[in-house]
Amino acid sequence: MEKINSDKKRIINNILKSNGFFAFLFLLPAFFFFTLYLLAPIPLSGYYSLLRWSGVGEGVFIGLNNWSRLIRDSTFWLAVGNNFKLVFLSLLIQLPTALFLAVVLTSKIKLDKFFKTVYFFPMLLSTVAIGVIWGYIYNPNVGLLNNFLEAVGLEHLILDWLGSRRYAIYSTIVAICWRFVPFHMILYIAGIVGIPEQLYEAAEIDGANAWVSFRHITLPQLKTVIKNSVVLSIVGSLKIFAEIFVMTGGGPNHASEVMATYMYTTSFDSYRMGYGSTIAVSLFLIAFSVSLIFLYLTRKKQ
Amino acid sequence: MNKKIFIVSLILMFIFMFSLVEVEAFSLFDLFRRTETITLWDIRTPEDPARAAVEDAIARFEEDHDNIEIEHVPIQNDDYKTRLSVAAAADDEPDIFMTWGGGGLKNYVDEGMVYDITAYLEEDNWRDNFLDAAMNNSTFEGKTYGVPVTNVAPAVIWYREDMFAEYDLTPPETYEELLEIIEVFKENDIVPFTLANQNRWPGSMYYMYFVDRLAGPEVYRAAVSPDMAGSFTDEPFIEAGQMIRDLVEMDAFPAGLNAMNEDDGDSRTMLYTKDAGMYLMGSWAYSTIGMEDEITQEQLNFFPFPSIEGADGTTSGIVGTVGDNFYSVAEKCENKEMAVEFLRYLTDEKAKQELLAVGNIPPISGVADDLDDPMLQSIFRVVEEAESSQLWYDQDLPPEIAQVHLNQLQGLFGGDVTPEEKAQAMADAIEDYYAD
Amino acid sequence: MLLGKITIFLKYIFCLVWLVIAGYPFIFVFNTSLKERREFFTTSVWSSPESWQFQNYIEAVKAGFLRYFLNTGFVTFSAVILIVIIAAMASYVITRIEFKYSNLVFLIFVAGMMIPIHSTLIPVYRVTRTIGLYNTLTGLIGPYVAFGLPISVFILTGFMRDIPPQMEEAAIIDGASKFQIFTKIIFPLSRPAIFTVAIYNLVIFWNEFVYALILISSPGKWNITLGLWNFQGRYGTNIPMVMTGVIISAVPVIILYLFFQDQVIRGMTAGALKE
Repeated sequence: MEKINSDKKRIINNILKSNGFFAFLFLLPAFFFFTLYLLAPIPLSGYYSLLRWSGVGEGVFIGLNNWSRLIRDSTFWLAVGNNFKLVFLSLLIQLPTALFLAVVLTSKIKLDKFFKTVYFFPMLLSTVAIGVIWGYIYNPNVGLLNNFLEAVGLEHLILDWLGSRRYAIYSTIVAICWRFVPFHMILYIAGIVGIPEQLYEAAEIDGANAWVSFRHITLPQLKTVIKNSVVLSIVGSLKIFAEIFVMTGGGPNHASEVMATYMYTTSFDSYRMGYGSTIAVSLFLIAFSVSLIFLYLTRKKQ
Repeated sequence: MNKKIFIVSLILMFIFMFSLVEVEAFSLFDLFRRTETITLWDIRTPEDPARAAVEDAIARFEEDHDNIEIEHVPIQNDDYKTRLSVAAAADDEPDIFMTWGGGGLKNYVDEGMVYDITAYLEEDNWRDNFLDAAMNNSTFEGKTYGVPVTNVAPAVIWYREDMFAEYDLTPPETYEELLEIIEVFKENDIVPFTLANQNRWPGSMYYMYFVDRLAGPEVYRAAVSPDMAGSFTDEPFIEAGQMIRDLVEMDAFPAGLNAMNEDDGDSRTMLYTKDAGMYLMGSWAYSTIGMEDEITQEQLNFFPFPSIEGADGTTSGIVGTVGDNFYSVAEKCENKEMAVEFLRYLTDEKAKQELLAVGNIPPISGVADDLDDPMLQSIFRVVEEAESSQLWYDQDLPPEIAQVHLNQLQGLFGGDVTPEEKAQAMADAIEDYYAD
Repeated sequence: MLLGKITIFLKYIFCLVWLVIAGYPFIFVFNTSLKERREFFTTSVWSSPESWQFQNYIEAVKAGFLRYFLNTGFVTFSAVILIVIIAAMASYVITRIEFKYSNLVFLIFVAGMMIPIHSTLIPVYRVTRTIGLYNTLTGLIGPYVAFGLPISVFILTGFMRDIPPQMEEAAIIDGASKFQIFTKIIFPLSRPAIFTVAIYNLVIFWNEFVYALILISSPGKWNITLGLWNFQGRYGTNIPMVMTGVIISAVPVIILYLFFQDQVIRGMTAGALKE
């Protein structure tokens, strides 16, 4: 009897001390919120995507009709295309700019605190303001950009930035990059701050210039941070909503539509909750697979 | 031990803020109150001038009904639809809610979400209080599902009297005369019509008026009827599209109109600075302009959309709302009797006066006698004398078709959609809609 | 030497150019907030105000902006603290504890990042209704934490993976428990990343809109963004008022940002330990 009891105790003790139990305990709060608020949408949207449903009452089960419709829906593919334009241009503009700013701001520079604060402004402004500000920058008649072009004698470049079918998406992309540079900048700053000072000191003794130490110390040390910021930038670009919505609403006539705006207007303006969910699920699948592929390709080779 | 103090102060901070912001939610007082609550959702946020009328009706209702409390939930206009559809999708719609009538309301009616109030309207001739045309937009197959509370608002063409005087212009009777005015403005480097079409609905006003003037309101009714007696590919729709293209090509509108935002006032600014001569907009523009620039308001006048000579359509029909913001009772409401009773407060004499006080013409019969402002009087006269009234297509159409309509029109103004393509897209959308 | 000087010169030039790009819009917002509604519509939008009028600020306060402030502050404060702790705990487990499902757990969080916010509205609304937190500010904390978690875990795991194991090993030899390793070593060492996560979530929650829209019904419980939208009407927007609200709401975030960035830099000393 006694032995069994002590065995039990030992087993319980082992469990309590085991990694698995500890992991469970420490993950519990995260999974609590995750399950309560975030887990349901995926299967639920998957189910809705099989319905013709206006969002009221009972939907009608229509099998994969929404999905076959999605494949033939040119607006959807236009939106996907726009998302990927944003992905590539973000990687090309946003990240290098952010990295450069972070390097400059962490180097010995005067007024760094002031710069750092002002550089953060685009990110902290509410989206309400983003719509108004960029609306006036791009305004075809009184806009800052066109006025500027006129002032420096580049009249031939004057455009209807947000109103033209061809350029609307690129105009919004510039604004989006502007808005998210600070986010990646602070990520990089945190990363650079974590690089041991001694590495730079050693390099300096070896007579390395700024470029060499950037190339051979900063970049390699920041590898994980950069990789993560690439993933975040890809995900952010594929999910982008608010900035486009306040600037163009996805228009003119879908020209700057992205998946999230298309999903939103389909669900809440056209009252096609079923089809909107189909778009939501595809957004999820596309973003997830792209990120997985990237993470797989850049995984640490052991 | 610094750390402990830090943690304790964080917790204290939380409790302090919590008690400040959440007092009402957990007030014991509520537990002992034996009142019944009726929830009311609409767009009467604190900034909405018409809020006073609704708040006043609530106060009076609660005064007369001791045991009932109206919980008023005002939601900003642009987000209202999202908010209501989320609640409806979660099967949790409010007792009384507001819609813009037409296709949006019908969407809810079709799913059995809205209570039929026809019997109440017949009871003591309550229906006679309202303008007939107003009721059409909440009546489907002979049953009425909501009462209109605000806004008799036709679209008319606004202009500045000082500018018309300067260039020796008079309000046109016919479209041909309007084209002459456009020419005069263009010669003087003034944009004839200001138009901010990023929002899509401002541009659609031209289209609806052209169709109405070319062929009358019947062609539209035929095109949207389930039996498909007509079609959006019919001649008047294509011609209306072509007339818009013609206006765009003769530079009757500002460059970059699809990037201009109506809510932000990009269109009206051009009137204030005399960069544009005319402005086709709902009659609410009068009070909006009053808030933004009194000088322009003093110079402001309007003329109805001119008729087209030799066309089969109307000469005096209006496009716009004869009352919108329909208040309906949900089928799920537990005390429908009282909810309907509240609608009476919302549309009574006192509510009418409150609305008139803020320049909003409610769709109540005999409202003409109460109008003091000469501008409001003449707006109302246009409505009274109209041979027909056409609700905005985007409010009248089922929502998914309305979106096609608005997007295609934006493309038409932008030049990447032809009138024929627009017509075809509409016809396809209608067919699609009735196919399921 | 000369090359170094040129580099420094270029560095400052670049800093100044970016200062204009990032800062000018803010000046525009401030400028506009000082205008009267009429002035804004009748003069050039880029002109400076005729006179510095703080009337809009007084009006904003009268319109209940302080209340929105407090409301937003409460939710943001609670959610940021919660998320930092919870995300750090989860990231610690994923990166430092060997157990069977650590890859799977990480993948679940990564998947969480991909969920479009608008597809969560209906379930979140239902849950909040069911647990009785509808129309309470407390009810916003849960969705905020849930929505901020995946990205926070992602950033933190990335950082924690790079912390060299030697530090821990020493502690284990000293007999420290896993819990102690977390609070005494990993958490403090992750300081730069933790403050970065805090800044990020702070900004997002402070300006959050769509959850507040669907979960809050009385104007007394509006957050700042809902308050801002209130100045935006279907038939006309009071732009100077909106801009006033934007400025007022930005000030505390700027202050907190400065403080947090300081904390990130102070992590430098901790970073030196990594070798």
